[in-house]
Amino acid sequence: MANGVHVKFSNVSKRFRTPKGDWYQALKDLDFEIHPGEFVSLVGPTGCGKSTALTLVSGLEFPSLGTVEVEGKVVKDIDTSTGFVFQHDATFPWMNVANNVASGPRFRGLPDIDVEALVKSWIGKVGLTGFEKHFPHQLSGGMRKRVALAQCLINEPRLLLLDEPFSALDVQTRAIMTEELMQLWEQTGSTVMFVTHDLEEAIALSDRVLVLTAGPASVKANFKIDLPRPRKARDIRFQPEFIKIYQEIWEVLREEVDVAYQRQLIASK
Amino acid sequence: MSIEQTTGNPDFASEAQLKRKALFRTLRIKALQISLAAALLISWQVLTDHKIMDPFFFGKPSGVWTQLWTWIHNGTAAGSLWYNAYVTLMESTYGFLIGVILGVIFGILLGRNRVLAEVFAPYIKIANSIPRVVLGSIFTVIWGLGSTSKIALAFVLVFFPVFFNAFTGTHEADKKLIANARLLGASKRQVTRKVVLPSALSWIMASMHVSFGFAIIGAIVGEFLGSNHGLGLLIATAQATFNPNGVYAAMLIIGIMALSAEWLITQLENRLLNWRPNQNSGAEL
Repeated sequence: MANGVHVKFSNVSKRFRTPKGDWYQALKDLDFEIHPGEFVSLVGPTGCGKSTALTLVSGLEFPSLGTVEVEGKVVKDIDTSTGFVFQHDATFPWMNVANNVASGPRFRGLPDIDVEALVKSWIGKVGLTGFEKHFPHQLSGGMRKRVALAQCLINEPRLLLLDEPFSALDVQTRAIMTEELMQLWEQTGSTVMFVTHDLEEAIALSDRVLVLTAGPASVKANFKIDLPRPRKARDIRFQPEFIKIYQEIWEVLREEVDVAYQRQLIASK
Repeated sequence: MSIEQTTGNPDFASEAQLKRKALFRTLRIKALQISLAAALLISWQVLTDHKIMDPFFFGKPSGVWTQLWTWIHNGTAAGSLWYNAYVTLMESTYGFLIGVILGVIFGILLGRNRVLAEVFAPYIKIANSIPRVVLGSIFTVIWGLGSTSKIALAFVLVFFPVFFNAFTGTHEADKKLIANARLLGASKRQVTRKVVLPSALSWIMASMHVSFGFAIIGAIVGEFLGSNHGLGLLIATAQATFNPNGVYAAMLIIGIMALSAEWLITQLENRLLNWRPNQNSGAEL
């Protein structure tokens, strides 16, 4: 991997046409690097363009200006060594759990015998053994998220993009899922870009937290989280170091949240 | 709540009680349905017997029955009844299958390809606005009295509804699911086959329910316009000889055919769409 850099944003700007025909700038001069094996969270006020940054890494969208590089190559198409877990439900409703989890390896043309073994192991890892024949609509939101995680992780992505994956879950399920995600990640050692607006979640999981400005997003601050691993996501938030870091980042984030909120107020008038 | 208070409360009924209740309900509905049919048939018979309704125009149930009996035992002017029914069924089925297959292929092709869709859009609108039954006359001229002209007419009637539903279904396919499939490693073709087609399937199935009826209409109208065999010919012959009972008897057979096809399509739908949540569960509103 080129110079120990996995993902590199160089002066990336992205603008969209709104349905009204105006231009909306989501990212402005976004510039940062992520190292192999790092777990990096992007936090920022609602609507600041965090998710847009992920779609640029995945190859679903492309920058208007600047470049995004993954493993030293400019992103020009969807790269199958990158995994993406969406905020919304994106499991295939017409496939049962086993087939949903198997879809990646099957798309990639893996022989059926290998797929079967892989699926069995991953369904076990996300705790869905016994639910192989269930369809997504028969599962709870948390279980569907487990399917989505297994569906993504079974492809052993070197880079994992998580776009507020647990935001639709209730607080308790979310805490459990956060912890399980951490355990799964510690086994794989892949690089993770995690988008969230939950600062607590970001600190508990990450090696580094990037605070983005209110849209158009650029990097406002970069915090290294030196809490020891393995961490217990549910308990770590009561440790004094955690609280200290939380306050530090919140000071910075709050200014941007205020800016975003003021804009919303003006826009709604 | 005490146990005594729960007796008579349906939410606390035993399994056996619930089963008996469900059985009673089914039987009652069936009994009401049969009595409705009997009432209609009896009043039809009585009204025509007493010449309140003219049997010359309306026929009568006993006459329809006699007509069917004669057809079954002595055959029709155009050969045995079964053969004529078979010809119509065969024509409708071929027209239906070709229409569904081509409708689905073109619907998905244009649904997935924006340039093609925009180029074809005005032509499809024009083709759809033509009263297609009229094409039957041309098909009869081209292909003559045989089955081909009927299959062609059935096809033309089936193609458009299936095409439009497949096209809409393709468009309505969830963009998030397509993005997810692409990221999981699916090629464009795999996306079409494994994501777009299953999403469009409920739309396609909905169009298949109406379009088998259209296929039968196509076959019957084609036979009407000129043929050597088929239920449409039996109707045309009965009409020419002022025999309303013959028209009704043929209609009855067509009805049975259409209902059987509908049943088959529903079975297919239940098999293919077994992943859908049951929309009928929950409180009655």
